[in-house]
Amino acid sequence: MSCLMEEKQKFRNLFDKTEADSKQPAHPLDEYRQRAIDRAGQLDFPTRRWEEWKYTSVNRLLQPDYEIGQLVDVDPKVVNTFMPEGLDAHLIVFVNGRYSEQLSRAKELPAGMTVMPLQEAMDSDRFGTIAREQLDHIIDGQEHIFTALNMAFSQHSLFLHSDKNVVCEKPIYILHLSANEETPVLNSHMNIAVAETGSQFAYIEGQFEAPGAAGTYFNNIFNRVVVKANAHVHHYCLQQEGENGFLINKVDAEQDRDSTFSNYTVDLGGRLVRNNLDTLHKGSNLTTNYYGIYFGKEKQHIDNHTFIDHAVPHCQSNEMYKGIVTDRATGVFNGKVMVRKDAQKTNAFQQSSSLVLSNKAQMDSKPQLEIFADDVKCSHGATIGQLDETAVFYLRSRGLSDEQARAMLQHAFIAEVLDYFPHDSVRDYAETLINQKFEQ
Amino acid sequence: MLTIKDLKVSIEDKTILNGINLEVKPGEVHAIMGPNGSGKSTLANAIAGREDYEVTSGSIEYKGEDLLEMEVDERALAGIFMAFQYPVEIPGVSTSNFLKSVINANRKARGKDELNAMEMLKFIRERINLVGMDEKFLRRSLNEGFSGGEKKRSEMLQMALLEPALAILDETDSGLDIDALRIVSGAVNKLRTEERSFVIVTHYQRLLDYIKPDYVHVLFDGRKTEVPQPLR
Repeated sequence: MSCLMEEKQKFRNLFDKTEADSKQPAHPLDEYRQRAIDRAGQLDFPTRRWEEWKYTSVNRLLQPDYEIGQLVDVDPKVVNTFMPEGLDAHLIVFVNGRYSEQLSRAKELPAGMTVMPLQEAMDSDRFGTIAREQLDHIIDGQEHIFTALNMAFSQHSLFLHSDKNVVCEKPIYILHLSANEETPVLNSHMNIAVAETGSQFAYIEGQFEAPGAAGTYFNNIFNRVVVKANAHVHHYCLQQEGENGFLINKVDAEQDRDSTFSNYTVDLGGRLVRNNLDTLHKGSNLTTNYYGIYFGKEKQHIDNHTFIDHAVPHCQSNEMYKGIVTDRATGVFNGKVMVRKDAQKTNAFQQSSSLVLSNKAQMDSKPQLEIFADDVKCSHGATIGQLDETAVFYLRSRGLSDEQARAMLQHAFIAEVLDYFPHDSVRDYAETLINQKFEQ
Repeated sequence: MLTIKDLKVSIEDKTILNGINLEVKPGEVHAIMGPNGSGKSTLANAIAGREDYEVTSGSIEYKGEDLLEMEVDERALAGIFMAFQYPVEIPGVSTSNFLKSVINANRKARGKDELNAMEMLKFIRERINLVGMDEKFLRRSLNEGFSGGEKKRSEMLQMALLEPALAILDETDSGLDIDALRIVSGAVNKLRTEERSFVIVTHYQRLLDYIKPDYVHVLFDGRKTEVPQPLR
């Protein structure tokens, strides 16, 4: 018997209360949400006895009595501080998980590029079937309780779709602001992103706490990404949650032949962060890129679990995660690469490096390669270390102070990953956020 | 400029330098030669301030100050530059950013205004020709993936930009082909002035065909073997 039954019941009660209070007209999505809360009832919250959750306990995240997040007023100027300079993006803003029309700044997207509320997509002739297909995929046999809960509480979700051969140059920026002051709130958001054959787009998720807010919140985020043949999707996850923010972020991607899916994750904030980044290969000659950065201070806990499922031949994956933990922070990297029997000529590269800068900081790093094919090239490296003292000496011998030299090396350690970010404005913004964290 | 008296240095309790005396006056070039393990590099590193080199006795005075009391970066800002035998590769720090930071740190320490981006670029371009380095290296990570010769040129470029009062070259010529050697020694010769002093540690006499020192010292077993004679 799981000892977290009570916590599960709290989410059920919250769901029932929300439904009872709801003034929204009924919508077919409600059916899925009902299925999802029922599914969640059949699943357990993970404990540290689970191999996949060995290093991360969700107990603290489950303690608060959450209410559903509500749209509150946020000064539009605040949005500017979270906009990468020079980024010309289609901006959609959510406050406490609720869509804010007032803060969003729609840009004209090319014909064939669609960004709309999930409910609207379900209602439309054009996207109804696609949206339902994906919702069924997500909930049928879902094993991840947080994903089931995500769907159960997702009322302000997005549907992103690019038609065949449509190239959308303007990135789509989905900005989540947590502006919670008192009662702990639950913010759930789902994106369903589908790139049809030969199409291309980039979307950025930014998770930030609005200035002045300091309340407890739990952001439960889920992304379903479908990249069809020869399509290319860039997906950024930048987060600087507040010190009382909990974040569970799951990406469930699948790719068809000749496609590229690239994820760029930057984790700087949050009390407890767990990312699950999973990609399934369904066609040959495709590429998956995972680039991740994390920087934990004080009592932060940042856990990156990644999974690449090489199920077909001639595919390539590149994975590079770099991070720093200091003070009493803990970091976790678990990178699983599965190369199935048929996935000959796979080329899989994985590198995880971390700097542990204080005696009380902790890093758990676990590369996990399971290879069942015999003609493959797979490499992995995991390093946990301190700064190279000969490099510190070298920089100091040129006149930099000990502090300057260390800051330069720490920055450089992380910057290597930034070089892979293809959008300069996003790259520069991520760098600015990282620098701010160094200076804190 | 630099006065070393009865210097004894050990690494992990092993005595490497066993009582060295050296007097370097402004504008002089001193060559330090000797076989492997004779303590040449230890002497260079002790002057630069490497922490794992423990000075057990003796003194080093630089411009009238006790050098051994100064931190590594204080020595650098006071005008001591060491060209490393094995320059450290620093991935993620672009050569140009590194140069900008250290040039301005040194200018600040000397009471000069920091250079702005344009002035900096002009200054670096001017000196990069001196060492025959390609500008593309500025965009690359510092020393990362540089060949042996490129690393040494990068050291010479840094020396040319930081304009030290005392430059110590730790086996800068080792492993260089004749073209690279000409460039490195050419840079040293161009930077020779009435005030600037050099201590050149070398394993090979060949270097002295290109750089004419004022004195040659030979180390053996942590001691100097003979009284240096002025060459000119």
